[in-house]
Amino acid sequence: MLVPMAKVEIVGHRRHLDAVLALLQRHGAVHLLDATAVPGLRVSSLAVDEGYAREGEELRQLGLRIEGLLDLAGNLRLRSEPDTFPGTDLDELLADLDEMAPRLETAVKRIDELENEHAALPRHVESLRRLLPLIPELPRLETYETVALLIDSRHAGVVELLRDELTEMLGSRFDVLSGQIDRDTVGAVLVFPRRESRRIHAMLSREQVSRVQLPEQFRGVPLASAVVSMERRIGLLPTEIREAKAALAALLSPVERWERARAHIGRRIAQIEALRLVGTTEKTFVIVGWAPRRRLEELADSLTVEAGAETLLAELEPAPDDEPPILLTNPAPVRPFQLFVRMLALPRYGTLDPTMLMSFFVPLFFGIMLGDVAYGLVLLGVAVWAGKRWGRRTPVVADLARILGLGAAWAVVWGFVFGEILGDLGHRVAGLEPIWINREEAIEPLLVLAVAIGVTHVLLGLALGVWVSARRGDRRRLTERAALMLTLVALCVIAGAAADVLPHGAMTPAVVAVIVAFVLLVAVQWPLGAILGPLDLLGIVTNVLSYLRIAALGLASVFLARVANELGATAPLAIGIVIAALFHVLNLALGAFSPTIQALRLHYVEFFDKFYEPGGAPFQPFGGSIAPVPDTSLDRSAPRRRSIEPQPS
Amino acid sequence: METGLLGIGAGIAVGLAAIGAGVAQGRIGSAGIGAMAEKPEMMGRVILLIAIPETLVILGFAVAAMIMFILGG
Repeated sequence: MLVPMAKVEIVGHRRHLDAVLALLQRHGAVHLLDATAVPGLRVSSLAVDEGYAREGEELRQLGLRIEGLLDLAGNLRLRSEPDTFPGTDLDELLADLDEMAPRLETAVKRIDELENEHAALPRHVESLRRLLPLIPELPRLETYETVALLIDSRHAGVVELLRDELTEMLGSRFDVLSGQIDRDTVGAVLVFPRRESRRIHAMLSREQVSRVQLPEQFRGVPLASAVVSMERRIGLLPTEIREAKAALAALLSPVERWERARAHIGRRIAQIEALRLVGTTEKTFVIVGWAPRRRLEELADSLTVEAGAETLLAELEPAPDDEPPILLTNPAPVRPFQLFVRMLALPRYGTLDPTMLMSFFVPLFFGIMLGDVAYGLVLLGVAVWAGKRWGRRTPVVADLARILGLGAAWAVVWGFVFGEILGDLGHRVAGLEPIWINREEAIEPLLVLAVAIGVTHVLLGLALGVWVSARRGDRRRLTERAALMLTLVALCVIAGAAADVLPHGAMTPAVVAVIVAFVLLVAVQWPLGAILGPLDLLGIVTNVLSYLRIAALGLASVFLARVANELGATAPLAIGIVIAALFHVLNLALGAFSPTIQALRLHYVEFFDKFYEPGGAPFQPFGGSIAPVPDTSLDRSAPRRRSIEPQPS
Repeated sequence: METGLLGIGAGIAVGLAAIGAGVAQGRIGSAGIGAMAEKPEMMGRVILLIAIPETLVILGFAVAAMIMFILGG
């Protein structure tokens, strides 16, 4: 149902404005309107107030800095939004940030370097190990440089080309040691005078020969010694990384305070942004908005206690063109279906919330279309499992799981009605007989059932439409919907009489009723009624026939299940079971998806069209998405200092 | 023979309706997905629009059922 809304006006002295905004934010019960745009209120906007603008900008900057700092904290951040803030003044917080930011950055950089080294060193050791057999251990020669190369075996000729190039550049002042390292790689080590380093490296780069680059601290060290040093270093690194992380954790001890400060800054910025909707005079402020009627008393009491008796909350008479925002409220079992209402569009205020009806009809239609005990039980299991697995963390999954669970339960019920367990397998193996209709054979009763459901559903929609139209005083629509109801009932009587279910005497009054309804439809929409009237009559028949999809999808499901069983029966037992299982899984996947879409479509197109008036704006209360902050947690001991707490204006 | 012809007629009734609905759904679907890329909140309306042409198939199914049950006796 739609929560009744009241248009409220809160008036008070300007010195209480911040306190009132904080209170409204905490309660999250008022959808703010622009007070300066309310006709009859001679107030000006606070948006040009420079003090608030400056405060907002400072807080945004501060928030960004804290955010940057908290990003460094990574996994150490609090998982839940903190709801209290142990008061800190702005200057103290800024000094804190100035001091901590460089230290934190250095600590994080140090951890990154150590972790990179820990990841890279084993690769260097591996490369060097493969090269070691090529060369004898040389004494450390400060005047000579060693460069290692790993070359793909397909390009082994490069080594000789290099030797020629080096001979041309250095004469005999170098050595090249090379050999096959493994099946795909040739290793080579170049030894040359250090003073020729730049020329040699330039040549290697020009010829695009890739070198084994050693970390800075191991360059110039003989290769065998470098390997030993690297292995020692690899052994030491885990301890160093642990110590660096411990040092970072110690630095991050105030992270909880920053989290709280960030949340509090967010709330204050929201308050400052809300100021543009507040109307003011020289000494007073006016806040206008919509609030759930049931919360007015609680709001008024809080205002009196926290902002003084001179702050008043009054209910305003809504203007004729006012459209209150929409807040849906339904019992817990029905609430998941609000998702389907929101998917289309919220209803307009003063009309009908169809959630309750959807919670009954959508699972029912789903169950009739699927109608199989085994499929229903499997989907029920999936719904329970998904709800437990993800439901707590993701409310949408919890809602969908509940919807699927209800649909699956109906599928089990209708499975017994149709006598189906995995199609006709229940009948073949266990001799299960249908309670009412065998869908495989009695197709005509199934079609009649689908049409009967359609007539009932469409008639219910029209009846609701008549009620909504009467409530809104819309005579034209009321007449139109009543005429369509009359048409549908009369057409059913005609069909019943033609099928000898009703006495033939009922035929004439029913035809007269159709003619009367047609005249009403044409008259009420005249002159367009001349075209729209016949279309409406045709439309109502099409709407009812559209419910045949309930039978059509059911038939498709039962015949696919039968195909699975027949195919399974043609193969040896083990293979047959696999084939049948594959087809049943396919049928189940189709059976879970298609009936959902079709049940929704029947509601959105055939049912809602009769009474539903979309276009409501969602209720978005100020502070609704922000956790409440107990005022007692705020530090009010230093009101003269620059503070991130609300200031008297 | 006559039953076979009735079956072919019923198949044509559903088949042609399904082709028509498929063409319409393809066009509406591509436009709908484009709209949803810009406004994800339009999902409900897009599903609704995509599902509308399916009535054609259901009407085809109704005609096929009439062919089989009324003409077929």
